[in-house]
Amino acid sequence: MTTLPKVLSILSLFVAWIVLSLMFPPSIVPGPVAVFKAMAEDIADGNAFYHLYKTLLRVGLGLVLTMVLGVAIGTIMGLSRKGEVFLDSWVMVGLTVPAIVNTIICLLWFGLNDRAAIVAIGSAAFPAVSISIWQGIKGMDMQLVGMGQAFHLSRSAIIRKIIFPQLLPHILASMRYALGICWKICTTVELIGMSSGVGYQLNYWFGVFSMTKVFAWTLLFLLVMFAIEYLLFKPVESRLTRWRTGVPALQWAR
Amino acid sequence: MAGGKRLRVLEDISFEAGAGSFTSILGPSGCGKSTILNLIARLDRQSSGEISTAGDRIGFVFQQPRLLNWRTVADNVTLPLEQQNLDKTALRALAIKYLELVGLGGYENYYPLQLSGGMQQRVAIARALAIDPDILLMDEPFSGLDEITSRKLRQELLQIWEKTSKTILFVTHSIAESVFLSQQILIVSAKPARIFKRLTIDLPYPREYGDLRLFEIETQLTRDFLGMDAG
Repeated sequence: MTTLPKVLSILSLFVAWIVLSLMFPPSIVPGPVAVFKAMAEDIADGNAFYHLYKTLLRVGLGLVLTMVLGVAIGTIMGLSRKGEVFLDSWVMVGLTVPAIVNTIICLLWFGLNDRAAIVAIGSAAFPAVSISIWQGIKGMDMQLVGMGQAFHLSRSAIIRKIIFPQLLPHILASMRYALGICWKICTTVELIGMSSGVGYQLNYWFGVFSMTKVFAWTLLFLLVMFAIEYLLFKPVESRLTRWRTGVPALQWAR
Repeated sequence: MAGGKRLRVLEDISFEAGAGSFTSILGPSGCGKSTILNLIARLDRQSSGEISTAGDRIGFVFQQPRLLNWRTVADNVTLPLEQQNLDKTALRALAIKYLELVGLGGYENYYPLQLSGGMQQRVAIARALAIDPDILLMDEPFSGLDEITSRKLRQELLQIWEKTSKTILFVTHSIAESVFLSQQILIVSAKPARIFKRLTIDLPYPREYGDLRLFEIETQLTRDFLGMDAG
């Protein structure tokens, strides 16, 4: 039953698009037919796959860097008072500096290559993850840790079985948010300094004023993002949070 | 240690609890009763004195169920057993055995959040029993539940005790509860906690709510408590 509102919602976006494309000339709002045709061309000649692959590669590795930095820094901040005070300013700087600055600096340091993109993405996206992990550790249920100690669980068992599962929702949530940031930053890096990728394509077609192609690539980008969300994140999340909802056991045991 | 000064929490605590006996530690909240249990469970170290137990498997039941909500009921029961190298079928069989003992047969695959407070506490009791403990330490296990559920669980606890012959040390602040359940009551005063009085209750089991003999003992204990404050 929840799929009907969802389908209607997507349909409404589609309808709005059609309406707008009828109201405005194709150079301003191209219609779905033209856009899908343009998209099909790029898919047919292999262009789409190549550039999507480059972007996904950069976003993927950038996300890995983001999570490694974010979890490491967030954990230190959560566990150590001194660490918290010390790293707080790093996180502050990371949050305030606009991603474009990371982008420009990395392009100048590393050159116009993938490494620049990955470092720019990782350095700009990690603060949000750190904060989430830090808060997750602070909000840990210490009574459960106490229970583990009462039953003489080993330190490693307490970390694996009691502490980590409490952090997992925070890690997942921050990963999703970070993915969104990574995409955006990657597009910016590609727009400014790369010769491949979705951002590069957007810049190229912008340069020749082809609104249809710009729409086509944006749509392609969106479809891939939705695919990742619905085929990867949502199933994993629903499996890992099965225990949260649940029909209460109504009857008494005896 | 509290605020830099040494805090004397317990003083002169000395008692024995025989194998298979049911002993209550009765006292007002915050008097240090839980500390006694923590010391016996080796979760804390005493500054002086000796503690000896007949074995070192200690089952602990807390005031809150303290279950892992992301694990099924069965997996919660076997959590302390996982460090022994048992295979999955053996673990599951043990979980089912102890869940049936506490009256939760059939609930193995439920998650804690699907259960009521009383049922969650039963899972906690099953977990403590599953390690086949030499001593069962219970720290006000029913004080977080409503009175009707508590009464039911007290009777079931006595039945479980009869079936398993465990040595039970039960901390409570309820005079009625300690009288209903125990063979021996250690009455503990406020900080620093001292054993104010020892009481043996010879009444046979099963005991019934409303039994006048229990009521008499409760009344006497209440007088003792009020006298303790005045004296």
